[in-house]
Order: sequence, then C-alpha cells, then structure tokens
Amino acid sequence: MKVKVVTRILEANERIAAENRRLFDEARVYVINLMSAPGAGKTSLLEKTIKELSGKIKPAVIEGDIAGTADAERISSLGVPVIQINTGGACHLDANMINEVLGSLPLKETDLLFVENVGNLVCPAEFNIGEDMKVMLLSITEGDDKPLKYPLMFQESSALILNKIDLLPYTNASIEKIRKDAMSLNPSLKIFEVSCKTGKGIAEWTDWLTEKVKS
Amino acid sequence: MHEASIALSVLEIAVDNCRKAGYNRIESIRLKIGRASGIMIDALLFAFNAVKTDTIAAEASVIIDEIPVSGLCSSCGKDFVTEEKYVLCCPECSSTSFNIKTGRELEIIDMEVF
Repeated sequence: MKVKVVTRILEANERIAAENRRLFDEARVYVINLMSAPGAGKTSLLEKTIKELSGKIKPAVIEGDIAGTADAERISSLGVPVIQINTGGACHLDANMINEVLGSLPLKETDLLFVENVGNLVCPAEFNIGEDMKVMLLSITEGDDKPLKYPLMFQESSALILNKIDLLPYTNASIEKIRKDAMSLNPSLKIFEVSCKTGKGIAEWTDWLTEKVKS
Repeated sequence: MHEASIALSVLEIAVDNCRKAGYNRIESIRLKIGRASGIMIDALLFAFNAVKTDTIAAEASVIIDEIPVSGLCSSCGKDFVTEEKYVLCCPECSSTSFNIKTGRELEIIDMEVF
C-alpha cells in the first residue's frame, strides 16, 4: 500500500522557527542570526556593537557554543542579558534550541536580539531559527577564497562584515576578490569592512543596523 | 554533518505517517533531495540504516530522487538546468541575476507500507 507523505524533512524546524518568529514579533524584537567560522570575531563584534548602541537600543544575546561559557561571560560583563547554549557537539543552533531558552530572556524589554551561532561556515546557514536577518562575519585572515568555497552562507546572509581589516597589510587577501565573489553569489548583499581591534568601520555597521531595527 | 539528525527526522515522519494510515511496517520510503540541499546521500543512507534498527522501518529501503539545480535567468530569460551544485552565474549569458527554481529540496514524497 502506497502512502503519500509529501513533507519537508526539516518541517519540524521550520514550524518551531515560525513559532519563534511569532514570539519575536509579539515582543517587537529584531533578531539577528550571526554566523562565521570559529575565531572570526563574532563575540568581539558583539562587544563593539553593543557599546556603540548603548543608550539607543536595548540588546540581548544568545550565545551558541559546543562547550564553555567564555563568550557569555564577556557579554554579561557589559550588563547585557545573555543566555549560553551549549550544543554539546552539534555544529549549529536550530529553532528548538532557541525556543527552549526564550522564556529566560526579557524579550519585552529587548529591541535587538543577537544569536551568536556556533562557529562553522556550513551548517548554521541551513537552519532557520526565526530570525529577521542572517549576518555573516568573515575575517580577512581566513583568505579571500571563502565565498566560492562556502557559497551557501554568503547566499543566505543579508550582510557580510569583513573583520580584522587592520591586518590587511600582513595577508595576501584581496578585499576586491571577496567583494566580487560574494556579490556574484548574492547581489543584494550589504558589505562592511571593520576592525574590532581599532574600531574602524563599526559606526557604519551600527548606523545601518539601527535603521533596520527601527524600521 | 547533520545527516544523522536528518535520518532521524525521516524515520520519525515515516513512522508517524505509517501508523496514522493504520499500518505497522514500512517497506520503502521515497525522498526528493536537491543537489544543493547540502546533503551527502551516502552519509544519509548510512545514518538511516543505523537509526531504523528495531523500528517498524527496520526492513525499509530508501529510494532517492536526486533533483538537479535549475533556474530562470532574469537577464536572458532562459531556463537552465545544471550539473553543478552551486550556480554563480547564468550558464547561458553569465549574468548574475537569476532565480533558482529547484535544487534545495529535502522532502519525503511517499512510502510503501503493509
């Protein structure tokens, strides 16, 4: 006997992502899914961004890591509500992991929720968590060949932040090549060049972000 | 990398639908998988064989319809189908403005139960 099923295999994740989205909309929270390879500077970017937005936008953070609470401690020292998720081995955050911790965040008093995904250029791009926008961080020391090697994340992201540009003189990376390849994968991608170390470019990024959150 | 959790989802959805239809054994499950879905078919089959043990799908085989990446170019207006997993530009006119139509599928189509 043949039974028709026709179900998306990741439907369970999509369903929970939609539920998260409903909760975010209800509390009027803008949600960013922040993705990058390990060590690109996600937590440093959050520290800089949160300081820059201070007094203007009330942030909260969900930290996703395989193990440890180092990132959550860094964010917590800024006086920002933060929840650490330890995936215990899983390479990405999914909608259900987010759903389980939402009750512990003061969503109603939050304007902007950053979800710092597990450091990985592959799987995080494949799982929606109910975010408004995916933002990807690439540090130039990773090399300018990354867009064509890991295309999905560049395609799924609304913004690409190139970090560590203060190190440009010490690398062979070409910002032009990154820009060209990333734009060919995703013509509507908004690209920022920043250095979390020197603070260069951070204001341009936070201005753009503020506009997104307030609109 | 998450083929095992996807295999578990397939099993869960299949067992659920089999029971709902009033049957107790699954003979085969047909999946539609796009080439750009990020799934390694061999890894998925390997994982499914591991997770199906001691379930009503223990004897089940998995049949996979692989879907190539296809799209419509908004510059030259042509439909295209490609063997590539990722499309960087229209294979006809090299324009970068195109819409992908197929290739990201990850679905269960139907199954044989008895």
